[in-house]
Amino acid sequence: MERIPILRMGGFLLVTIQVDMHDRLVTTLQDELTTMIAQTGAHGVLIDISSLDMVDSFIGRMIGDIAGMSRVLDAETVVVGMRPAVAITLVELGLSLAGVRTALDVEKGMGLLRAATRRRLAEADDGGVER
Amino acid sequence: MSLPLLTVEIRLEPDVVSARQRARQIAGLLGYPPLDQTRIATAVSEIARNAFQYAGGGTVEFRVETGASPGMLIRVRERGPGIRDLQAILDGRYDSPTGLGVGILGAKRLMDRFEIESTDRGAAVTMIKDSPRGRAPWGQAEMARVSAELARNAPLGLQEELLIQNQELLRTLQELRERQAELAELHARELEETNRGVVALYSELDENAKDLRRISELKSRFLSNMSHEFRSPLNTILSMSGFLLDGSSGRLTAEQETEVGFIRKAAESLTALVNDLLDLAKVEAGKAVVRVETFDVADLFETLRGTTRPLLAPGVVLLIVDEAAGLPPLRTDEGKVAQILRNFLSNAAKFTERGEIRLGAKVGPGGTVVFTVSDTGIGIAPADQRRVFEEFNQVDGPVQKRVKGTGLGLPLSRKLAELLGGGVSVRSDPGAGSTFFAVIPRSYKEPDEGDVKHEDTWRTAPPRRPVLVVEDDPVDLLLYENHLRGSGFQVLPARSLDEARRVLDRVRPVAVLLDVVLDAGSGWSLLAEMKGSEANREVPIFVVSVLDGRERAMGLGAADFHLKPIGRDWLLGRLEALGAARPLDTILIIDDEEADRYALKGLLNAQGRFAIVEAPSGEEGLRRARAERPDAIFLDLFMPDMTGFEVLERLKSDEGTRDIPVVLNTSGVLDDRDLGRLAPKTAMILSKSAGTAEEASATIREALANAGLNLDPAGPEG
Repeated sequence: MERIPILRMGGFLLVTIQVDMHDRLVTTLQDELTTMIAQTGAHGVLIDISSLDMVDSFIGRMIGDIAGMSRVLDAETVVVGMRPAVAITLVELGLSLAGVRTALDVEKGMGLLRAATRRRLAEADDGGVER
Repeated sequence: MSLPLLTVEIRLEPDVVSARQRARQIAGLLGYPPLDQTRIATAVSEIARNAFQYAGGGTVEFRVETGASPGMLIRVRERGPGIRDLQAILDGRYDSPTGLGVGILGAKRLMDRFEIESTDRGAAVTMIKDSPRGRAPWGQAEMARVSAELARNAPLGLQEELLIQNQELLRTLQELRERQAELAELHARELEETNRGVVALYSELDENAKDLRRISELKSRFLSNMSHEFRSPLNTILSMSGFLLDGSSGRLTAEQETEVGFIRKAAESLTALVNDLLDLAKVEAGKAVVRVETFDVADLFETLRGTTRPLLAPGVVLLIVDEAAGLPPLRTDEGKVAQILRNFLSNAAKFTERGEIRLGAKVGPGGTVVFTVSDTGIGIAPADQRRVFEEFNQVDGPVQKRVKGTGLGLPLSRKLAELLGGGVSVRSDPGAGSTFFAVIPRSYKEPDEGDVKHEDTWRTAPPRRPVLVVEDDPVDLLLYENHLRGSGFQVLPARSLDEARRVLDRVRPVAVLLDVVLDAGSGWSLLAEMKGSEANREVPIFVVSVLDGRERAMGLGAADFHLKPIGRDWLLGRLEALGAARPLDTILIIDDEEADRYALKGLLNAQGRFAIVEAPSGEEGLRRARAERPDAIFLDLFMPDMTGFEVLERLKSDEGTRDIPVVLNTSGVLDDRDLGRLAPKTAMILSKSAGTAEEASATIREALANAGLNLDPAGPEG
């Protein structure tokens, strides 16, 4: 069965979508990714959609859902590599991907995730002192 | 005016993907910039998904609009029930449960012209993207190029993929089939080779058997020659030493006398050995002559008492000779019987340091007499019990080392007993003593007559059910016959594997009791043989042995295994367990009195499970006996339509009912004349007024056993 590979990079998971996804594939990805987050305890997810030349409402909603679920599982999601045409179409379509962080490429995305993780650790430390 | 380019069918989910890929491809070919390509593909994706999700499918048609306002036209037709709440969707008031509620509205925004027609037979969405600005309208040549390109670069549809997969499957199947054929051929070749090997092995075995027979003959001839050659010089030594000792050749000094005494003793024991060897060789070569005469066992015992007493340690070992007065005279070779018993007695004397040696005889079944010699000696371990009857075989042990013997006495006894048509056997508890048995036919028969007698014992006697007993030990055979007496089972004895095979050729027994340790060949081969044969595979086989072989027996498919000795309970338990699976025995009650029938039924049901058929009159009884072929008939003697005498007469004269055992059940008192007339034709005569309930029950049991019916030992209460 075809599937989208999920790679582990340190404390983060990297998903590179390189095929035009049909809907079931998207749903499968959602399941596998959440399972993987729970298993590895990853704190960040990078979704690289640089190969996608189209994001329609269903895929857009799925990306939003993945970000929401990851957050509940204590992981930040960053979508990287969105093409300008895709971004324009998304907006024209009426989707804003609210709650999904984006970055231009994987490197910037990683930086974003590291900063977020550091900040969270610091907050946790503060909490410890207060008590 | 518009020109058709391509139509994509939406049937399955992946078709949505191919529709949008096609949309993008066409937009590219028609010269739309990348942003517009993405817009068109996204719009097509939205509308095509709606068609798939809500209507279960449809078509996406790509066309080119020429004329005043040229552009790319996409028409998506759904098959389903049309679009509900169309106006709400277009107004942006609709809240979609799946997408973000932007499908149709978003698509409308991405395209330049957008139209929806919805009827109850389906909906059609038509979208147009105006041709790129500043671009010349599409000419005929360009259209042809686009069409050609589309035909060449078709993304693989699901069906094409399926087709390819199918072809691959077919290829794999073909390969598999080829491999299978190859394997089959390989197997056939291997089998053939194995067969050839087996045939070669058989012929080799044949050769070996022939060689063995020849060697055995040579051995016998050698023994008999050597013994003769030995005997004459020994006789010379004996007579000459005799002369020296009795002084007829002049007096010897005391020292010389002792020395010559040793020579004489050595010569005497050598003579004994040679005599035994000679006897054995004679029997083996078939040269032994049986001198048949009639004699009394009591006389024989008297002689044996005289010859044995000197062998015993005086005061410590007692010889007891049982009274043999009740035995009929024997007609066989007295000398050989005496030799057998003498060997037993001298053997017992050798190995008994204190206690008693008892010689006895009693009448055995089948016209035999069973001689026993029991001692309180050291005994023989189970594993050695068979070996003591083999030539030159002495059991190792401290006592055995001390006593001298040729090791030929017991084998010779065995050969002699077999020569007389009987057999020998031993029972022993190590430390407690041994009992040797010799079963000898009371009347000696020539060997060929003996064979006929064997075959006689294989005639089945219904309703007793035949059990094949493969056992070369005559005493064990007697034991089993005793165990199964009056049980509804009949022993078909087979003393060798060959006999067992002959029995199986003519009878299908309900079970086989198989001793796997036989003189001639191993019983394991019979077990394997039966389990491999179509006809006998289902016959349960109970394996018995002096040595443990439970795992092997069960592995080869035996029904059970038991170490010797075999108890009556075990044997009957196993055999009756088989009976339980059989259909019920049918009993026909012929009696005009309903109350009597009822009472009898109650008694019968208390004994076991039977199918009971009733007939209230003689005529009816005869009819049912013919129709049902019951396993037994209980018959009242006095009935209004015809007497029991008449019914019995007619049952016995009918071919079909002649063999059904009949139990007479009468309330009258029969005189001796009637009894004499009826007894040979009936299994038993019962009286209806049979005392207490226990007595009635016991009588019925006896009647059922006599009729050969299977009793449920536990009864219905069990």
